[in-house]
Amino acid sequence: MSEIFMLIEHRQDAIRDISYEMMTCGRALAEKLNTKLTAVFLGYDADKLVESIRNQAHRIMVVDNEVFKEFNAESYQIALAEIIKKENPLLTLIGHTAFGMDLCPALGTQLGIPFTTDCLDVEIIDGKLIATRQMYDGKLNAKIRFRENPSYLVSLRTGCFPVRDSNIEAEIVNIESPVSAEPDYRKFVEYIEAAIGDVDITKADVVVGVGRGIKKKENLALVEDFASTIGGVVACSRPIVDAEWLPKDRQVGSSGKTVKPKLYITLGISGAFQHVVGMKNSGTIIAINKDPNAPIFNEADYGIVDDLFRVLPAFKNSILEMKSK
Amino acid sequence: MNFDLTNDQKMLQREVRNFAETELAPVAPQIDVSGEFPWDNIKKMAKLGLLGIIVPEKYGGSEFDFVSLAVAIEEISRICASTGVIVAVNNSLVSYPILQFGTEEQKEKYLPPLCSGDKLGAMGITEPNAGSDVAAMESTAKLEGNHYILNGTKRFITNGGEAGIFIVFAYTNKDLKHKGISAFIVERDTAGFSLGKHEDLMGIRATANCELIFEDAKIPKENLLGKESDGFKICMNTLDVSRIDIGAQAVGIAQGALEEAIKYSKERKAFGQIISNFEMIQGMLAEMATQIHAARLLVYYAGYCKDKGIPPRFSKEAAMSKYFAANMAVDVTRKAVQIYGGYGYTKDYVVERLYRDAKILELYEGTAEIHKIVIARELLK
Amino acid sequence: MDIIVCIKRVPQTAEAKVEIESSGKDIVKDRLTFDINESDTYALEEAVLLKEKFGGTITVISLGCSDADDTLRIALAKGADTAIRIKAEDFDELDGYKTAQLLSAVIKDIHFDVIFTGCIATDDAYSQIGATLAELLGIPHATLVTNIEVIDSISHVHRELEGGLQEHIEIFLPALFTIQTGINVPRYASLIAIKRAAGKEIKLVGQNEISKDQLLLNTQIEELFIPPVAKQVKIITGSPGEVSEELAGIIREKGLI
Repeated sequence: MSEIFMLIEHRQDAIRDISYEMMTCGRALAEKLNTKLTAVFLGYDADKLVESIRNQAHRIMVVDNEVFKEFNAESYQIALAEIIKKENPLLTLIGHTAFGMDLCPALGTQLGIPFTTDCLDVEIIDGKLIATRQMYDGKLNAKIRFRENPSYLVSLRTGCFPVRDSNIEAEIVNIESPVSAEPDYRKFVEYIEAAIGDVDITKADVVVGVGRGIKKKENLALVEDFASTIGGVVACSRPIVDAEWLPKDRQVGSSGKTVKPKLYITLGISGAFQHVVGMKNSGTIIAINKDPNAPIFNEADYGIVDDLFRVLPAFKNSILEMKSK
Repeated sequence: MNFDLTNDQKMLQREVRNFAETELAPVAPQIDVSGEFPWDNIKKMAKLGLLGIIVPEKYGGSEFDFVSLAVAIEEISRICASTGVIVAVNNSLVSYPILQFGTEEQKEKYLPPLCSGDKLGAMGITEPNAGSDVAAMESTAKLEGNHYILNGTKRFITNGGEAGIFIVFAYTNKDLKHKGISAFIVERDTAGFSLGKHEDLMGIRATANCELIFEDAKIPKENLLGKESDGFKICMNTLDVSRIDIGAQAVGIAQGALEEAIKYSKERKAFGQIISNFEMIQGMLAEMATQIHAARLLVYYAGYCKDKGIPPRFSKEAAMSKYFAANMAVDVTRKAVQIYGGYGYTKDYVVERLYRDAKILELYEGTAEIHKIVIARELLK
Repeated sequence: MDIIVCIKRVPQTAEAKVEIESSGKDIVKDRLTFDINESDTYALEEAVLLKEKFGGTITVISLGCSDADDTLRIALAKGADTAIRIKAEDFDELDGYKTAQLLSAVIKDIHFDVIFTGCIATDDAYSQIGATLAELLGIPHATLVTNIEVIDSISHVHRELEGGLQEHIEIFLPALFTIQTGINVPRYASLIAIKRAAGKEIKLVGQNEISKDQLLLNTQIEELFIPPVAKQVKIITGSPGEVSEELAGIIREKGLI
């Protein structure tokens, strides 16, 4: 039985959470199939990071070369294609992240193996690979089957596999890098850190998140007022940043910040996965949205199906009353 | 026979709907309260070519037909009735008569700024003592040398407070009764022309409805629209066209109300179930949808008659569409409020505004009674 | 600069009820409204901005049924010069890979410097067609692009990473970019542009032009289902005053503020 492979994702000298999630998923699959999990680590000066995940996989293939210091889809693709062609794993896992989105489809295409992206779950039933994906703004899931092939490639969504402890001792295999320099046609230049704003939403105990339902910029004043009454800060989903109503550092979600306040109140947020991933571990979630089918109600502890502009003034009064007692 | 919109009409509909839902919707409730004139949006609409929909390209317009005009006004009014009226007035009450009756010089001078939004248009027919009875107007214009000296007061003038170009009707020869009325193009900065009372309206509150006061206002002779004594003809012809727009406003407002009512009836619960389960609510929704559909067909057909150049029929069709659609919009928005129950009577819900916005349709540019006279006159010919 | 933009007409499901059709593999579409995919509008706008700066042409391509012609015409009205529709009805079941193969079959015969796609389609949510297409065409790519500047046929591109971080990379043209929302402010089509676009021909490409034999599906939908509820939400009902009081009670009881 051929193995399960996964690609370690790291950035700025840290292993990213998705790597642990993929290794959790990969170990479970390997166990079921009575095979092994191999983590592939492309990086530079990798010893420390490799050592830190040694208990997570049965084998770690390390390609240590300066070219892999920063992620570059093109050089990663060349190296990975070599490895997969040689090792022929049953399944290779890549994170469905900014990193994996660049890499996975191009790699699968180059190798000519069946692949798909953004999977919430993968199972192997009777030797056949079945993946679960989400479609239609998160309103439906789909079970996907693949064209039959000895080797498959999928990218996994972040946050779908709660990380489990592991105590394996990985065998370390060092491999000569098939690439020695970044290709001319794609070069990494630098990281651009987000501008630091006046409010750090990751440090607040109470966060009030606003989405499309706020309708217009002027209505933010209402929300700010409510947030200050309840002692919280205002955060938002992507469309609010796209419209430039709030700065990027207020955005919660996959391309924004991850917050874990004691209380998260959503106002007019539909609950796209990209937002939910940044707030679902909040202590208590209260969602206010007009659409009873909005996916946010799958994440909330308490839900109000109503117009946020009708609820907000009354909510503010109730909070004021509560505080005065 | 073909009931489909053409490709360009469908695209116009889609783009105007998108624009209205994105740009007009956030502002609509706010300007209803404040009465503030939506200049920002008017400028954006000018860029899209919505201020000169029927004006030829050579004068800066978009050169679409009257069915397209109706489609655009309907989409705008579905989201913001005030903006719908402002755009309709600029198109059919001001640009249209200049296009139809103006000299080449007048067209070249006045149509481009009307299309670009540099100057908005308004039309002055109604007076404190002359509404439906146009011939009862008291304004006069007397030719003295190279100028007409205009005196009188015009009332309830949509866009009046913000417009730069006005078409104003006045008697040049009172003896000829209505056949002695003439039409003039009047610029805002004309000496002797001032603005009077700004009306605080029940609906369409952001339309700068204002009184126009002319005290020995000097209008250059070349600003006479058409010939002397053409005024009544110009007025009637223009109102015919404008009735398509009013009908389109009615359809738009009613469509907005129906959509709100459907949404609400599927969310609101009473007696343990959503109220759309109740047959009486279903009955109202079915009536509303049918009424809107009938009105829309009348309005589009009137536009079609205008586009095809079928004059006698057009006058009657335009009157029918305005009379029916205005009535329909008041009834449909009333039903929408009814479906909302007590909440529909509060400013928390848009149907309250739509109900107020709809009422004007039965009042301006001819009451139902006037339209019935127009229709009957054709029938009894 | 010759630019190709791939656009897709999708059902607008963000605020609509989505129901599964009897086959279990598709959704009920007749009550949904359809329009251009959200990030595709930004991709198109980015193309128009580049064309305004450098001149050249824009070709829009969509894989879809005849309804997609409306979407292509709007793109023509917004600044595209040529529109091509690949007749979806000719090619049976589709997935991201097959879609990319069809696009590549058409694009390989067209001159281009840049290809833009949206970064994700809201219906099937693959985020894979851009990178797949680039690989099939043998050109470099970058996904999730939030800024592009082209200087001497090198593009300076910002990509959106996680947590507010971005990376700046350099890519040689020709290249493919998948565009993230918010990169620009998409324009509306003016009425005059609509009128000019309405009469333009849309080039159709079907099974006569592209052989079906070599097209491969990577995946097929086995079944659609409603996502299991992660957490049982308690829906609080009543007037705004009533629900607010109940919420305040919960907040006090749990000591949340």
